[in-house]
Amino acid sequence: MLLKTSLRSFFAHKGRMALSLIAVVLSVAFVSGTLVFSNTATATFDRLFASTASDVSVGPHSDRTADRQVGAKVRTVPVGTVQKVSALPGVKSAVGEIFVSSAVLVDPATNKTVGPTTGAPTLTGNWVETPRDSLEITSGHAPQGSGQILLDSDTVKKAGLGLGSQLRLVTATGNYDLEISGIATFKTTNPGAALAFLDTQTAQRTLLGTAAYTSVEVFGDGSRSNDALKAEAATAVGTGFDLKTAAEQKAENAKGVGSFLDFMKYAMLGFAGISLLVGGFLIINTFSMLVAQRTREIGLMRAIGGSRGQVNGSVLVEALILAVLGSTLGLFGGIGLAMLLIRLMSAVGMNLTSAGLEIGASVPIASYTVGIVITVLAAFIPARRAGRISPMSALRDHGTPAEGKANRIRAAVGLVLTAGGAALLVTAAQADKPATGGALLGLGVVLTLIGFVVIGPLLATGLIRVLGAVLPALFGPSGRLAQRNAMRNPRRTGATAAALMIGLALVIGASVFTSSYVSSTNEQIDRSVGADYIVDGGRNGLTPAMVSAAKSVKGLDHLTEQKEIAATLTLPDGTRSDTGLSAVSPAFVDDFRLPVKAGSATAITGGGVSVDEAFATAHHLSVGDRLTFDYGQGRTQSLELGLITAKGNSLFDGNLFTGIDTVAKAVPAAELPQDVVLFGKAESGVDKARTLDALQESLKAYPQLTVKDQAGYKKIIQDQINSLLYLVYGLLGLAIVVAILGVVNTLALSVVERTREIGLLRAIGLSRRQLRRMIRLESVVIAIFGAVLGTGLGLAWGITAQRVLSGKGLSTLSIPTGTIVGVLLASAAIGLLAALLPAFRAGRMNVLAAIATD
Amino acid sequence: MTTAATAVHNAPLPGAQAAPAAAARQVTKAYGAGETRVTALDSVDVDIQSGRFTAIMGPSGSGKSTLMHCLAGLDTVSSGRIWIGDTEITGLKDRQLTRLRRDKIGFIFQAFNLLPTLNALENITLPMDIAGRKPDRAWLDQVVATVGLADRLKHRPTQLSGGQQQRVAVARALAARPEIIFGDEPTGNLDSRSGAEVLTFLRRSVDELGQTIVMVTHDPVAASYADRVLFLADGVIVDEMHAPTADSVLERMRRFDGKRTS
Repeated sequence: MLLKTSLRSFFAHKGRMALSLIAVVLSVAFVSGTLVFSNTATATFDRLFASTASDVSVGPHSDRTADRQVGAKVRTVPVGTVQKVSALPGVKSAVGEIFVSSAVLVDPATNKTVGPTTGAPTLTGNWVETPRDSLEITSGHAPQGSGQILLDSDTVKKAGLGLGSQLRLVTATGNYDLEISGIATFKTTNPGAALAFLDTQTAQRTLLGTAAYTSVEVFGDGSRSNDALKAEAATAVGTGFDLKTAAEQKAENAKGVGSFLDFMKYAMLGFAGISLLVGGFLIINTFSMLVAQRTREIGLMRAIGGSRGQVNGSVLVEALILAVLGSTLGLFGGIGLAMLLIRLMSAVGMNLTSAGLEIGASVPIASYTVGIVITVLAAFIPARRAGRISPMSALRDHGTPAEGKANRIRAAVGLVLTAGGAALLVTAAQADKPATGGALLGLGVVLTLIGFVVIGPLLATGLIRVLGAVLPALFGPSGRLAQRNAMRNPRRTGATAAALMIGLALVIGASVFTSSYVSSTNEQIDRSVGADYIVDGGRNGLTPAMVSAAKSVKGLDHLTEQKEIAATLTLPDGTRSDTGLSAVSPAFVDDFRLPVKAGSATAITGGGVSVDEAFATAHHLSVGDRLTFDYGQGRTQSLELGLITAKGNSLFDGNLFTGIDTVAKAVPAAELPQDVVLFGKAESGVDKARTLDALQESLKAYPQLTVKDQAGYKKIIQDQINSLLYLVYGLLGLAIVVAILGVVNTLALSVVERTREIGLLRAIGLSRRQLRRMIRLESVVIAIFGAVLGTGLGLAWGITAQRVLSGKGLSTLSIPTGTIVGVLLASAAIGLLAALLPAFRAGRMNVLAAIATD
Repeated sequence: MTTAATAVHNAPLPGAQAAPAAAARQVTKAYGAGETRVTALDSVDVDIQSGRFTAIMGPSGSGKSTLMHCLAGLDTVSSGRIWIGDTEITGLKDRQLTRLRRDKIGFIFQAFNLLPTLNALENITLPMDIAGRKPDRAWLDQVVATVGLADRLKHRPTQLSGGQQQRVAVARALAARPEIIFGDEPTGNLDSRSGAEVLTFLRRSVDELGQTIVMVTHDPVAASYADRVLFLADGVIVDEMHAPTADSVLERMRRFDGKRTS
């Protein structure tokens, strides 16, 4: 009986349910899409690694410290290792392989790098046949001799190359001109990397500079287990090697891919979270309105003996129907979304389509759980309200449902939460330690958000009175009616605006943060950088050939080199920390005005080392203390602390500086990593722009390098930060879609509720145009109300974040007024957009039907 | 049918020489088609005299409300012609009809006459606001004084009694000085005392302000306030009565009921 009423009522209101349904579907689709995608990707990579890993891989002993360095020297195993292991019983074959990620491929025709520049690496190696190749040659032939190279087909296609195309290989040993002799295709999945192969001798000469391998891959004949094979091989090759079984290789590879997939996963779950949060408001609103409209009906149910629980239950059952329907559609929507993502991944080179979708039980379980929990939870408050409707309501004549007044308890709770959150934000802004400030900020953000949601209905009346004050003057009676309508049900207006508020608060907060970051960095560059040019080596560093090319440029006074040295630091009190050391050439102190807290800047090039203020405070260090650095392989060095850099400058915070010559005393020059960055200073009197051109020209052969002057460097920082903003904008876009649905929903229901009122207005002479304008203006007022709340919240968050991080380099506050104005205008546009359909429907309403008394 | 036409044309009355405030000729209104066709009005001819109070009576389903809706331009007719003043409204577009209702017609409905978001005064001046006209201050004061609402102007409809709400509705209808006011059972929801109050105001607005009023009602007492009563049955004007009293109307209605059931 209960189910029957619920079902009937659900289908009677299917138009109204549709919008809530979209919200549920969107949220669930993101959850299920994320899971399907990551399951598929994981399964695909598992298959790939399982099919290509050797039984045992013999590699050089890796040094955790040293291998982290950019431009570190490649470690190898001697050629003789192959013989040692292939002679072992149970070994079918052993193959010496070379794979390095530091080589760069350049298309000489366009002078652009070939292969991915971020994310997956470009791997260059030797072409050898093994029992488990991941590639097979599909055109041309294997590389032979010093002039040939073989490329994977995806890379060839993306770079617009073909058989016979010329390629330049840039390695630490020099530049080599090669011709593509063959193209190979992945048998299973291309993980997104570019693969290039030379013949073994050429690979050894160009990539390693020595006759060796980077690993020896051992394939067993099946007579013993991989673990047994590994143990025997270990004895045969002796110490100084790392051996891994197939399972161990697989786990290591999966970890590498996993970190990239994890990013995608969390970004998508972020989308899901936002749409769930905003969708929740939509569901609450829909059910509140349904309950309000059915007050008489529910009163009748109670009058003829329905219990409070039954009424409550009937609303929840309706929510459950919505949830199941929404989750089901969302589940399938998610599979579609995953397919779209896979298609998208193949566009960036990761081909997952060969495997087919991997769905698994987790997907439906998660989808239904998320969909049902969120919907029923959101419907709970309206359901409880329905249960409290008295049987007397059936008898009362309700033209329109009772207009919910924001009550006092709500006001008190909202005020306490908001005030508490604001207090936390203020405390956070004044916190000494960024970590404490960060925690307070997080808590403050959550509290102010909840506080604003709770207090929203209260603010609605006051704020809309102010915001809407201009409407009657500008738009006459339509304006006045719109303003009054927006104020008549503050709770509804508040909930509708809350959806928009969340999205806008996020975007404003993020844009305050990023614009402060950009202006702080610019200001710090202006203040402390004396160098005119910067040459950034990217992820592979600068080879000696590049450095000498740059040095030969006329008009340069000097070049400053910087290397990142990995080291384990032991402090006087015995604590150890893995920390990088920036080794620089002496001119560094001329190029940068290091902010001195204690000691002297020149100390770092005179055999001393520097730390930043925060590090010194945390470990109670003072100038003159001795710090011990362990560079790995038994090389250690004790350095005197000669400089403590003042905090508040992101260019230097977190860096330990010392001289290259100082480190060279402990580590042989040949073992030092390549430079990561060069700074150039123009001679006084020369044309700086012309010198930049000359510098760029001298390094033209190396398109992987970034050669910029100060202005160009600032632009790069801005671009990097902007790419972060795009993610935030993506989130906002989704939040806005759901928020628009919310506004449409509210307006559509209001129009239905006010049928008689609209009929009356039309009867006494309100034209269709005026009526539509009235509804549009109401929508705009609600949207702007949400935008104003969101902007206020976002500004508070962003400003607090800047204050919290002011000691961490975010020294300058910058409010992006352009963005804020844009956001407010966009909200008005959203309001107009959302009102289109409800206004159209209201305009088409038959005057007579509208005023007909029941 | 002929009775009605003859009644209108053969009985010249005081004030009938003036052009009628509204007129209908051969107005037919039908719903549906074929077997399910229902004729709500069947070739009705009627003239509404200017400056008079006309009541339209009839049992449920007689077509009295439909006639009023058609006369007021709220509903379209299947055939026939209707004039408000010298404007023919049959065939007008929605925009023109809306303007006509706004500028020339006042309405009083049985219930839900007022916008809950506006106070009494704002409700009264709403039609002029919509039209973008300034209310005539002196006239407005006079109307407000006539309906006795001077101290209630800032109240919202929910703060007013049912009778007060209807009086606000009357004031709204009068304030814009329409050529004609249509009332659809304006006292249908009121107790007899409040109803009498409202009807007195309507009567006075005709007598003192020279207003033209057409009122649909099924209450003989309400009809007795009118100058003239038209009786409708099955979509046809079957009779009319001048200077009615409650008793004479009730008696006529009873006779008419008997005639119908016989």
